[in-house]
Amino acid sequence: MSQTITIDPVTRLEGHGKITIHLNGQGEVEDAHFHVTQVRGFERFSEGRPFYEMPSLMARICGICPVSHLIASAKACEAIMSVHIPHTAAQLRRMLNLAQMVQSHALSFFYLASPDLLLGMESDPKARHIFGVAAAAPELGRAGVGLRRFGQSIIELLGDKRIHPGWVIPGGVTEPLPSEKRDKILAMIPEAHANIALALEAYKKIADTFKAEIAVFANFPSNYMSLVNEDESIEFTDGALRLIGPTGQTIEDGITATRYAEVIGEAVEPYSYTKFAYYKPLGYPDGSYRVGPLARLNIVKSMGTPKAEKEFSEFTHIATGPVESSFHYHHARLVEMLYGIEKIEEILADPRILDKHVRATAGVNRLEGAGQAEAPRGVLHHHYKVDDDGKITWANLVIATGQNNKAMNLGVLQAAKHYVKNGKFTEGILNRVEAVVRTFDPCLSCSTHAMGQMPLAITLISSQGEELDRVVRD
Amino acid sequence: MNSDLAEPMHFEKANCLVLACGNTLRSDDGVGPKLAEWATERFRDDSHVRVVARQQWTPDLAEDIAAAESVLFVDSSSNSAPGRVNLIPVATHGNGREDPIHGPSTHHIDPAELLGLTHSLYGSMSAHAMLLTIGAGSTELGESFSDPVEAALPRARGVLEKTVLRFLEN
Repeated sequence: MSQTITIDPVTRLEGHGKITIHLNGQGEVEDAHFHVTQVRGFERFSEGRPFYEMPSLMARICGICPVSHLIASAKACEAIMSVHIPHTAAQLRRMLNLAQMVQSHALSFFYLASPDLLLGMESDPKARHIFGVAAAAPELGRAGVGLRRFGQSIIELLGDKRIHPGWVIPGGVTEPLPSEKRDKILAMIPEAHANIALALEAYKKIADTFKAEIAVFANFPSNYMSLVNEDESIEFTDGALRLIGPTGQTIEDGITATRYAEVIGEAVEPYSYTKFAYYKPLGYPDGSYRVGPLARLNIVKSMGTPKAEKEFSEFTHIATGPVESSFHYHHARLVEMLYGIEKIEEILADPRILDKHVRATAGVNRLEGAGQAEAPRGVLHHHYKVDDDGKITWANLVIATGQNNKAMNLGVLQAAKHYVKNGKFTEGILNRVEAVVRTFDPCLSCSTHAMGQMPLAITLISSQGEELDRVVRD
Repeated sequence: MNSDLAEPMHFEKANCLVLACGNTLRSDDGVGPKLAEWATERFRDDSHVRVVARQQWTPDLAEDIAAAESVLFVDSSSNSAPGRVNLIPVATHGNGREDPIHGPSTHHIDPAELLGLTHSLYGSMSAHAMLLTIGAGSTELGESFSDPVEAALPRARGVLEKTVLRFLEN
């Protein structure tokens, strides 16, 4: 008799989801799915709103990465306005986006992943959380708190609020950067460097103890997509998209925001409210790809800042081609945080950052516009159509978690097949299956544009469809 | 009063931290931030008082608590009668909820857990920690308070003020 295991809800995620594992009559894993069970619908209720309201409206999709939504949305609006924003405004936005990346990656690594990494996948679940980390490695816990504060303080300094900041508007930003705020941010840099150095050192010491997990945590060839600069260095705010294949070969380069709809399709599966993005010329599912830190580091040729470049070089030596195991998302996040700190310092060292010209103004000059930016979890597309009065008539968002959706499902299946034998499983095994999803740091609120909460659930289902076991967390 | 971002990296040691929590778009749930707004004005000229309002209490706040001698948590309560004002001491909870299924959330933790986390991370314990709650009548979407909560605001402000002044005396 076949069975199904349900993990419901999956914990330590941004949003609601569950995992089901289907077993055949011999108790072997036949199939597995990661389900996103929330729905919201921002595209629909933005219809009729003035286009210039969109950035602040879209930022409400997510409390973790509102800045990326602000920026992608503002860029879509600027395409409608047909304007190029001033250099200083672009740099200020870049800094804001990097600050968000640092705080979001810190949340993912220190709060969500480190309980597994520091305490072990089989450790007592009663202590496998942030309190356990604080007790076992307080210096690392403090580093995490410090890096969160670093990113959030910059967001608050620039956008007045830590969550759902304003400041980014169609045409640039609302006001220039005063020198006092620049100096406050610069004063935070040394501590941020010390914190990320400590985290990198700690991670590298323990990573080798997870060889078994690395081998089966979504460890398979895939395509990858991210923004990249013309000089092939990493980019979070501008640049164009590159898609590479399983051996690292470029499949398509220079995909601008206006072209994304030509090349990216969205498939639907009956078990999830999140769509499955794919590269149209390869079709679905062959055209599925991964985004986010692992994809970015697999695609770019350099980081463009000295310390991050050194760490990047080390990262690329993990494999001869693209680094395939999603376990390495954790490492990639740390390298990116280091890059973010260095880049923010570099941006602030340029005296032009205090320039007063930070906003371009215009009305509706096109009836359609698209924008893209890297969110911490991967590239984000906003695409709008407006009428002559600038009111939204249609909107579509393609979110990082949707783009990672196929890989997450295949990763859950791979881990489940490896760990679940003869229909038997333990809490530690189920935790590993959840941990595969955590490596991607999915934001289920973003992916369904839905209101975010944490939980996720695992179900064991028989070949007759009977639910045999379920672990529920809410 | 120290503003929230006066010294983002190195907080000056505050004698008293007022730490409010609530969603201002959810009617009575926003009473915490409303009282924080009042406390900001009331103690504007007092450098020993720091006021922080958040939509949720998160682990990051351990750092703010570690930099304070006393802490007054302010929140709405769905367990009290609407408009009821309660002031209770907070005991440290060292290990989070001992619940194998839930564990502590990274998105919201309670005052006792925050104190416990502060102790684990920074080795510091606030000399005094109290929780001021106001019973919520409605947490539906809205930016105004229910009648019982509106009527309770003067009393809640009074309790908040007295508690902070008492912390400052110690």
